[in-house]
Formats: sequence, C-alpha cells, structure tokens
Amino acid sequence: MSRRRVVMTGIGLICALGVGREDVWRSALAGTPGAAPISGIEIGDAPVRMACQARDFVVEDFVDRRLARRADRVSHFALAAAKLALADAHLRVSDDGREIGCILGTGTGGNQVRDDNHQTMLERGVDRISPFAIPYSMCNHPPAEVAMQLGLRGPTMAMLTACAAGTDAIGTSTAVIRRGDAEVMLAGGTEAMITPLWLAGFDAMRVLSHHRDDPASAVRPFDVSRDGFLIGEGASIIVLEELEHATARGARIICEIAGYGASADAHHITDPDPTGQSQARAMRAAIADAGIAPSAIGYVNAHGGASRPGDPSEIAALRRALGDDHAADTAVSATKSMHGHCMGATGAVEGALTALAVADGRVPPTINLTDLDPECAGVDHVVGTAREVRLEAALSTNNGLGGHNAAIVLVPWKEQ
Amino acid sequence: MSPRELRERVVVTGIGLVSPLGIGRTETWTAALAGRSGAGPITRFDASDHGAQIAFEVKGFDPLTYIDRRAARRMDRSSHLAVAAAALAIDDARLEIPADAERYGAVISTGNGGNATYEDAHRTLLERGPDRISPVALPMIICNMAAGHVSITYGLQGPLACVLTACASSLHALGEAADIIRRGAADVMLAGGSEAAVTPYAMAALDASRAMSRRNDDPAGASRPFDAQRDGFVLGEAGAILVLERMDLALDRGATIVAELAGYGATSDAHHITEPHPAGTEQAQAILRALASGDIDPTSVDHINAHATSTVAGDVSEVRGIITALGAAHAERIAVSATKSMHGHCLGATGALEAALAALAVADQTVPPTINLANLDPACEGVDHVRTAREQAIRTALCSGFGFGGHNAVLAFTAVDA
Repeated sequence: MSRRRVVMTGIGLICALGVGREDVWRSALAGTPGAAPISGIEIGDAPVRMACQARDFVVEDFVDRRLARRADRVSHFALAAAKLALADAHLRVSDDGREIGCILGTGTGGNQVRDDNHQTMLERGVDRISPFAIPYSMCNHPPAEVAMQLGLRGPTMAMLTACAAGTDAIGTSTAVIRRGDAEVMLAGGTEAMITPLWLAGFDAMRVLSHHRDDPASAVRPFDVSRDGFLIGEGASIIVLEELEHATARGARIICEIAGYGASADAHHITDPDPTGQSQARAMRAAIADAGIAPSAIGYVNAHGGASRPGDPSEIAALRRALGDDHAADTAVSATKSMHGHCMGATGAVEGALTALAVADGRVPPTINLTDLDPECAGVDHVVGTAREVRLEAALSTNNGLGGHNAAIVLVPWKEQ
Repeated sequence: MSPRELRERVVVTGIGLVSPLGIGRTETWTAALAGRSGAGPITRFDASDHGAQIAFEVKGFDPLTYIDRRAARRMDRSSHLAVAAAALAIDDARLEIPADAERYGAVISTGNGGNATYEDAHRTLLERGPDRISPVALPMIICNMAAGHVSITYGLQGPLACVLTACASSLHALGEAADIIRRGAADVMLAGGSEAAVTPYAMAALDASRAMSRRNDDPAGASRPFDAQRDGFVLGEAGAILVLERMDLALDRGATIVAELAGYGATSDAHHITEPHPAGTEQAQAILRALASGDIDPTSVDHINAHATSTVAGDVSEVRGIITALGAAHAERIAVSATKSMHGHCLGATGALEAALAALAVADQTVPPTINLANLDPACEGVDHVRTAREQAIRTALCSGFGFGGHNAVLAFTAVDA
C-alpha cells in the first residue's frame, strides 16, 4: 500500500506582521519590521522594552466575551488562528468531528493566567486562586479549547520542543494523517510570552537584543552586529489534509507536506552543537522522507534566531545537509527579522510563510542584514526585499532549547 | 494476530520507575501487588494553609545517585525524576547506547514542567526585581527540558519531543514514540513522563479546580477510585520511562521482552475543559481505535489499568466508556484496576507509570489491585473490580488516560510468546 499523502489547504496567521494570511504575507514580502516598543501591557521595570507584538489582533473579533476575559492570550491566538485557517480552507467540520484532530506547539502555555494566580496566592493566600488557574494556563489548553469550540474529536495534543515546537507539531500531525488516525489536522503553534517573567528570564540568559534605540533594526539574523532576538507572539495554524480527502471536496491545495525530520543535539541545554551535524541530520531526514534530492531544495526558511553561536551553526548545518555547492545557490531567509521569535509558534509561522513562498513563487527576505557575518556565508541570503524564485521544494527548519531540531519539506502542488 | 512485520512492531524491553511505591521496577511492582499506599502528609513544603495537605511523594530518592552534582543543580526536580527513571529503564533493558546514537530518541512528557523553579523565579521577580532572575531559571522551567536532559545525559540523538495533554500526557508520549519507531525514524525510544508538582502553588491551583480529595486525616485512604465515598484525586510525583524497541532488533540482541505495545488510540471529547463527557463516548472511541490500530481482537482484552482518579464524575464516565467500547457482557469479565489508589495521580507521569504496571501485568500474568474500594459506587458497576492482586491469563491489557481539556489516550499491551 502506498503512503497516504498530506497537503495543506488552509492557513490562519496572527503575528506582528498582521492578522490573516494575506495581511501577514504582504508585510513579509515587503520586508516590514514587526518590532516596536512594548505597549498595552504592564512590564514593570523589564530590562528589554521592545518586542514583536501582534498589535492588530482584536480578541473580540474571534472569541466570546467570557472566554476573552478568562482564558489566556495564548489560547485567544490559537482560537482565532484556527478559525482563520478553517475559513481559508473552506472546510466544514463534520457533525462528529472524529476525523479531525489538532496539535499545537507552545513554549510555556498560559503565562499571564499562571503569573496572575501565583501572585494572588503570594499576596492574598492559597484560597484566592481561581478555579480556572490550571485549566487556562496548562500548555494543552490551546489545542483543547480549539477542539472544544470547533468540535474536533480526533487526536489532540500540545507539542513542546521549545522553539522547534511549531515545526514538530506540523511534522507529527502529518504522521498522524499518514498513519490513518485522522483525515484532517489543524497543526501549528501559539505563543504569548511577552510577560515580565519571560522578558527577565530570557534577558538573564543574554539572548535578547539590546538595540534599544531602534526596535525596527534590532533583530539582525546573520549580520555581524547581531546581538539576539526579540520576543514575538501570535499563532499560526494550518489545515493539513489527506490528499484524497482534499481533492474529493474540491479544496484549493496550497502545497504538499512532503517530509519531516527530527533529531537531538544531545549536547547542551542552551547552546547549539557548533558543528551543526545534528541539525543537518534533521534536515536530511526531512529531505529523505520527502523522497527528493537535496539539490531540489530551492529555499530555506532558516531558524535564524540572530544568536551569536546559533546562526553560524545553522549555516554549517545547511551546508552539511545540502552540500557546499548547492547551499551556495539556495535562497535562505530568516523571517524572524520581521515577526520576531514566536517561540512555540515560530515554526508554524515560518512553516506557513514557507508554504506561501512555495505556492507564490516569491521568497520573503531577511531584513536588517546589512553586513553579513563571514561565519554565516555560504548560502544565498535573500536580503531586504522579496525575490521571485520558482521552487521545486523548500525547507523550514527550527531548533529548540534542550537540543531539539526539526525540519519540514514543502513542495508545490501541481494538478495531477 | 497482528499482520504487522516484525520491523513495524514495537516492544517494551525496559522499565524505569521512580514512584511513590518505590524506586525501580521491582520495588514498585512488588508494592503494587501487595496493595500498599504511598500516600502521606505533605513533607516537601509547609502545607498547613492548603486545603489538600496530603500527597504521594517519592521517598528516599537522591538525585545524586544518578546525576552529577553540577548538572543536578541546574535541573528542576521534574528533570531529576526523568533522568533517574531513564537510567533505571536503560539498565533494566540492558541497553548499550552507542556513541553515535542517531537511531535512539526520546519522548518525555509532563503536565507542568519545573514547578518549583517557576515558583521561586516568579517570586524572585515580584519581590526582588527582574535583574535577580537566574540565567538557568527559564531552561529549568520549560516543559521539554526533562526530555532535553535525558537526551543530553544518555547521548540520544534521534527524534526528541515532549507531548503534553495534561493527565494523559505520557500515554500520548508512549503512543507517539511507538509511531516514531513504526515509521522508521528511530529504532529505540525512551518514552514516558515525569512530574514534580508537590509545590505550594501547583497544589493550591489544582485544589482550586475542585478536583482534589481533602481527606487530610486519612492519607492512605484518600485515593479511593470507584468507591462510593471518593471525593477527588490525590496528587503524586513520579518519573516513569519505558524503553521501546523495534521488535526484530530487540530479538536480535536477545533482549527480554516485557510486552508488545501493540495499539494506540487518541481522541478528544470536545466537551468541557475539566469534566469528562458523562457517557465516555470518545473514551470508548479511543479504546476502539487502540484495538483497531493493532488489529487486536476486542474479546482478548482481559485487563484494564484504568485512569480512575477517584473523582466523582470521572470514574463513572470511564466505566461507561469501557462498557460502550467492549459491550456489557465482555466488560463484566475484564479485570479492572485503578492503581492510582496506591501511587496517586502523578499527572504527566501517571500514564507511563500505569502503562508500566499494565505491561508488567501482561509479563507476570498478574493483575494489581484497586485498594480502598470498600463500597463500590453502584454507578461504577459493570466491570470486574480487582481488590487484591490476582494471577490470571492476560492476553491484552489496556491502559487508559484522560486529561483536562478532554484528551483521551489508550494503549494496548499484548503478551509476546517467548
């Protein structure tokens, strides 16, 4: 029996670049910076005061008043992105919903709900904690709430592999469909980590950018003056469908999810393996799973976290996976320069942008890359503005704290 | 009989348990068969302000037995429990991990990650300011770090993940890890979960959700699944990790096979954020999917290690789900045990702990008991409740787990002929 094929038929995107697939894609192609001084939330005396907030997101547009008040922003994003994705796919959930599941990546779940309740306990006592403290802060609340609101009764779970979670969620959802446990999966990630604790926690790790005066130029992947990332927020949820299910209902297919690979560095909890060999294994596994040659990869949406050690190790990994010659010809961009590091959602944001690049024949740029670090040379960096490229296949890759590496291969859909 | 090729079959070859019933597979299994309770008053912090003041703590556990001092300082207790359980599992499987362990991976789950570290760090932020947060706080808190530490400690370079579905987390972890082997992405997976949530805030917040027992004057009698006097679950902590292997490779290296992990079914209630669907409809679907995924004859199900947390609503819906899935006549003959009566509800680790007990039940052809089941709730009738350990034929054992949010997972373990 031949393997079931999985295609993407809908995209729901919310991030600093906008709300909705078209909005975000237009901003990404235009090279729009999503960073700004943090506004609208109380961050106390946080050491870093800029981030890539989803400023255009209006919760009431997607979520009823009660849930808007009680649930965490991370779940608001997820519900909204799921609704956008279903609408984009023109998909109606069946009455029993048993053929549809949901896997969403997240880094830390409902931070604000947890922090508020913990503070309440410290200041007012253990009996003042809300009965919703656990359900609305647990990392699996976003996929559970999506399943509840939309009536999905297939496999549903949260995926936690830190910054690789969105990519692992898409890959694992693909596996769920391939093995026959679902016909459709809502896959992606959601994150709302712009909170005082995480601003302080990340800054203590010395991983956040301090280009204080100019948020728009702060995130500089592969640039010689890069000094870290800015926290992004939002959600990206895509509709994955078994091919025959999609064609039977006449769905418009965006691309095929052809391959998925995952590996572990087994090296260090925060620093990547400098040789990039484990990241390269995840990329090669995804390429092999897709049944294509490495030379078919025409574009890589890189992790590109603008970290001093991370960016060179990723380029080293790309060169290992694609071969030096082909790597030099491969278009590479780090869209985190625009939407920030959306943590558990970032792989899904970037996976969606990669899909749009494949479908559209246009590659979004890396912005703020004015002076390429020689240690990051060896690939064809797409700098500043979008570029038209006819793609045979594209790769989206991410790495997470703890040594998680994940990669997916997307290929254009041709009527067949 | 499964039509799968040997290379697509997944077997359990090692079990590592750090549980309220003891440290190591044998200690835990022996205590479970003897019907002991691991509960007691909370000793890990001063719980005198708390509504629920009892828990199933892991006793006599020294992380330094398994982890060097410097590394241990940079891990939350949840990671200590995971790394120790992994050490015990690897040892139990007599597994030699090669230097280039690219075909060895891990899926290690949790409900909540580094609770104690979170509470310390957030309190520090509030009381002393953002510049006093430790650089290792964030890595110690995030839920995937137990998996990360297991990978780093034992050099596992294959797929590495943490799937999170609240109280069903580590059953999904085992199911997804088995699928990673079946689809050819790894040969050996360490899979399971760890949880260390006996901390002031986690305990208080769980208690606020009104799901916990407050039988503080009777710790050993507080977790009483299916009993008419049950009043909620009692929290436990644990690390529980199983070694899963591709069957042909396990046979080739002469491994001792505990049981085959033959089926996995996952569904969602899409009903309520904390309450299960009263009819157990989608729980029943998870049972049916687990059986179908392994081509397992439903009439071969002889034992179920139930989720049964001792909540009023949950235990009833679970029995209904079993009857719906397997039929009233067959359900009456199924030996059901709720081992949470002895080890408590270990949240993200509980599924793997119970899966280990289900696999051991298959290996030993012995069913562990539900203790404290003095007065069976009539609403929980319809299955064969096991009150003391019993030797019997077990062809297929199921292990069920259901999480807040409506996540359902069921694993099927079958006996492997020697």
